[in-house]
Amino acid sequence: MAENYSTTYSYSIVTSQRLHQWLKTTLLVFSLLIVVAGSGMAQDVAVGQATATVLATLTVSATAALAFGNVYQGVTSTIANNNASAGVFTITGAASSGIMIFMALPNYVALADGSDRMTISFSSTDASVDTLGAGNPTTMAAGSGFQNINPHNFPAAAVIGAGGTTNIYLGGKVLPTIDQTAGAYTGDIILTVAYTGN
Amino acid sequence: MRRIRRLFIGVTLSFLLAAGSTAQTITVNNDLVFGDMFPGVPKTISKYTAGAAAEFNVRGTNGAEVSIQFTLPTKMTKIGVSIQMIFFNTDCAVDTRPNPIQASPLFDNLNPWSTLLYRIGVQGLTIYLGGTVVPRIVQPPGAYTADITLTVAYTGA
Repeated sequence: MAENYSTTYSYSIVTSQRLHQWLKTTLLVFSLLIVVAGSGMAQDVAVGQATATVLATLTVSATAALAFGNVYQGVTSTIANNNASAGVFTITGAASSGIMIFMALPNYVALADGSDRMTISFSSTDASVDTLGAGNPTTMAAGSGFQNINPHNFPAAAVIGAGGTTNIYLGGKVLPTIDQTAGAYTGDIILTVAYTGN
Repeated sequence: MRRIRRLFIGVTLSFLLAAGSTAQTITVNNDLVFGDMFPGVPKTISKYTAGAAAEFNVRGTNGAEVSIQFTLPTKMTKIGVSIQMIFFNTDCAVDTRPNPIQASPLFDNLNPWSTLLYRIGVQGLTIYLGGTVVPRIVQPPGAYTADITLTVAYTGA
């Protein structure tokens, strides 16, 4: 009996130790889970966005050259900016956007071989800016932009037309000398246009 | 039994400690919106501009210090093309007041490239971010986007 009693007691101790070990392990895991959960809440990440919409790129093209045609030695020739022979530049871009216009105008035109030059000049009313985009200098309507303005100083309020196009018409004057060499004279007119951001 | 009781107390304390600090949450109140841009014309959005500057709100335990860290993009993209982005070292601001004022934030001209440390206020903490984009003259038209990631964490201080 004593032996039996002793055996039962040992079993009881082992059971209690296992239960204690199990409880200990369970509680430790539980604690770890809480700590892990707690530390997981200690940081948050948010993703915002940067957004932008880029408008149409500006394009500039020389649609028609300022063509004086045949001129005579010693006889000045003038082309008005509303003449069919006026120079035409076409600008396209974002409708109604502000643009800066700068024109680099030549002081002379020259023969291809450079052997002679002919003076060319531009008055303070030789340009027009047509925001209706008709592209025809002879039909520019009053109020459709800026008429008879200085090609050396375009207005700061110039815009791309509501249809996405603006035309510039350019007149000018050539002054051949009395001994001007016969031949075809040319000169570059460089138009630079940039968005103002307005 | 004593050991078990101690363990229970330990677990309970752990639970209380974990539950005692409110988890912080970030809300994106506003994206950084540049709107329409002209090719070749750089555009800057000030951090003071409501509705255009990025605005984040952080909620959490009042008085607890948090670290604020941005992961900033260097370009905005659409398919195949990108626009350069610039964030200057004064483009960020933080306001911990209950009623933050974007036009004159409490902590101004902060560097968004650095980790910032501030304490959460009663109504949380508001972060403002401005930026600049530099489109090329021949920048293809269209909608461009970039992600701005904000990570906020308690420092324990």
